[in-house]
Amino acid sequence: MNFVPSNLRNSGRTWCLVLIVVLAWLVISCRLVYLQYIGHRQFARVVARQQVYKEKIPARPGDILDRNGRLLATTIVSNSLYVVPQRLKNEQNVARICDILQLDQTDFLKGLAANRDKLFLWVKRRLSDQELAAIRVLDLSDDVWGFRQEYRRQYPQGALAAHALGLRDIDGKGQGGLEEAFDHLICGEDGYRFLIRDAHGRVIEVRNDSRVAARNGETLVVTLDSIIQLYTERQLQSIVEEWKPKSACAIVMDVKTCEVLAMASVPTFDLNHPAGINESAWKNTAIASIYEPGSTLKPFIVAAALEKGLIHTEEEFDCEQGEYRMGKRLLHDHHSYGILNVTDVLVKSSNIGMAKIGEKLTNPGLYEAVTAFGFGQKTGIQLPGELSGIVRPLKDWNIYSTGSIPMGQEIAVTPVQLITGHVALANQGKLLNPRLIRDQIDHNYFPRSEEEPAQVRPLVSTPIVSAAVADWLVQVPMVETVSRGTGKKAQLEEYVVFGKTGTAQKPDPKTGKYSSELHVSSFICGAPAHDPRVLVLVVVNEPSVGENHYGGTIAGPPAAEILKQTLMYQRVPFDHSSEAPLERTAQRQRNALR
Amino acid sequence: MLFRFSSAILLAVAVSLIGIALEKESLKLKRLVSRQHYQLDVLVNTHAKMKLATQRAGSPRQVLNSIERGELDVESNQQPALSNRREMPLLQWHLTPQKKQAEK
Repeated sequence: MNFVPSNLRNSGRTWCLVLIVVLAWLVISCRLVYLQYIGHRQFARVVARQQVYKEKIPARPGDILDRNGRLLATTIVSNSLYVVPQRLKNEQNVARICDILQLDQTDFLKGLAANRDKLFLWVKRRLSDQELAAIRVLDLSDDVWGFRQEYRRQYPQGALAAHALGLRDIDGKGQGGLEEAFDHLICGEDGYRFLIRDAHGRVIEVRNDSRVAARNGETLVVTLDSIIQLYTERQLQSIVEEWKPKSACAIVMDVKTCEVLAMASVPTFDLNHPAGINESAWKNTAIASIYEPGSTLKPFIVAAALEKGLIHTEEEFDCEQGEYRMGKRLLHDHHSYGILNVTDVLVKSSNIGMAKIGEKLTNPGLYEAVTAFGFGQKTGIQLPGELSGIVRPLKDWNIYSTGSIPMGQEIAVTPVQLITGHVALANQGKLLNPRLIRDQIDHNYFPRSEEEPAQVRPLVSTPIVSAAVADWLVQVPMVETVSRGTGKKAQLEEYVVFGKTGTAQKPDPKTGKYSSELHVSSFICGAPAHDPRVLVLVVVNEPSVGENHYGGTIAGPPAAEILKQTLMYQRVPFDHSSEAPLERTAQRQRNALR
Repeated sequence: MLFRFSSAILLAVAVSLIGIALEKESLKLKRLVSRQHYQLDVLVNTHAKMKLATQRAGSPRQVLNSIERGELDVESNQQPALSNRREMPLLQWHLTPQKKQAEK
């Protein structure tokens, strides 16, 4: 029997149904609240990760130009080949690819086997145009092989100024030279943009509204001149062929601004093909090698003595016929000299005469002189790896130092320090910072706005000696050194050259004493003497051919040749004529027309 | 009633169609902007490559050696001599008339 009325039974079912529906709706609503409110951020992140891809827009590294706008370094886009090892089933193309890219097939297959479960493996980065064309012909499967675009640094002048420029490694980081020193400016700043992808990972939209453009690297205009650099490197090459030295370097500087017009070292390397070069070739000997300067230091000591009034220009010194005892030490000259005035002490490069000037200056005066001209401290040239040289603390100096320092021993300098000091003499006693950067412009070669000041170092000028002392040294003893002294081989027909030779003995690594065979031969010269424009330093380390290793013989002629070519290239009027060379050429042309 | 209902439907459809058209136009413009970015990249790279090629061809090492070996005939500038230094000396060199004729 059914004791419950049917209307009530129906009502209960209805309520039950309503309850179920309400509960279902409640569950769905809760889930909805959870998805849309509580878990919203988490799910949005997951969706964004799947859909939105942040793509880096690499900044294009800036160019490097020489002072006349010739391109020294630039960047182009090149393709790098990769493979997806997981999907590589058929290895029939591997041999051909290795052959085209000149890869060792065994090594490549080993790398593939080791990364078999990976989705990405570089095959070769930054392919050349020829390699790219040959690979494209193979028509490789897009699922397995692919290209990615990367920037490749190119040096259109080849090995020119290799040490000063430096290079960029496989990851685009500056290594050595200006590339390293100004990496923060040249590199620029990467940008990014967002790509929207579908479920298969295909890009369906590029979100340019949220794009942050890359800030391309700055373009540097350096003080180097490609033509002068080329002249300089050719002369260094001729030194290598003739004297077979261990290394050699040359620096050309503008006297008025202390700008480096050329800086070259041998051995050197090709910037576009740096692989497999000798380790010694990496060294920029112009800034990273130290040596005892020998006689090239003597003008600084004489300048200091003159400046302090301890000697005067006509003063005479007894050079003791080539032998002079200082304490326990017996000093020698290359030739026996009697009485020599200050000019002749420098012209004949008398060690005894210089030692006597050193006695007048005393050790504190000598120390003050060498440090005032910048020795023992970095010049501040904008290159990495510069050495400070060696100037021992004054407390370590003794009676030997009084004789040794004035003849350029017991002190070690870098070539760039030496030429910077001589620039001060040629520039009326004003010491300047050597400079390699002339200007800094944006990637489109437009000048920087005034709101963005250049980050290169300012020119610093400090008077070291009076203009009268500096001018006398340059125009009298240093001119006569070339006209009738140790630098006779550096005479030029066209210009009055001033200079100083240096022949320094090197310590024998076996005995620790000065060797009679190992030398550093150097020569520094400039012109025109009445108004110096250019200074050239050539340093030859351990010439090995012949027995005559004098600086005037080995380094003098090439230094003079570099000087002559530079001055003529810069159209500096000849000294030995009342007419400028180009005016004479024009006159000849006018005569020919008549 | 029917008229009002039809009008509402038509209005909704019209708004939708206009919305779709605007969306399409927006996507088209976005594609255009993307393509222009790409074309700009291509042009910048082409410019860099051409600049590299011209600088390689006229590099002092190559030109000076060619001049010294006599492979390239040059003559000095016929303009009156200037006392100031030349900024771009290589630009002042040009082929002699004989060489030009021979090339023709």
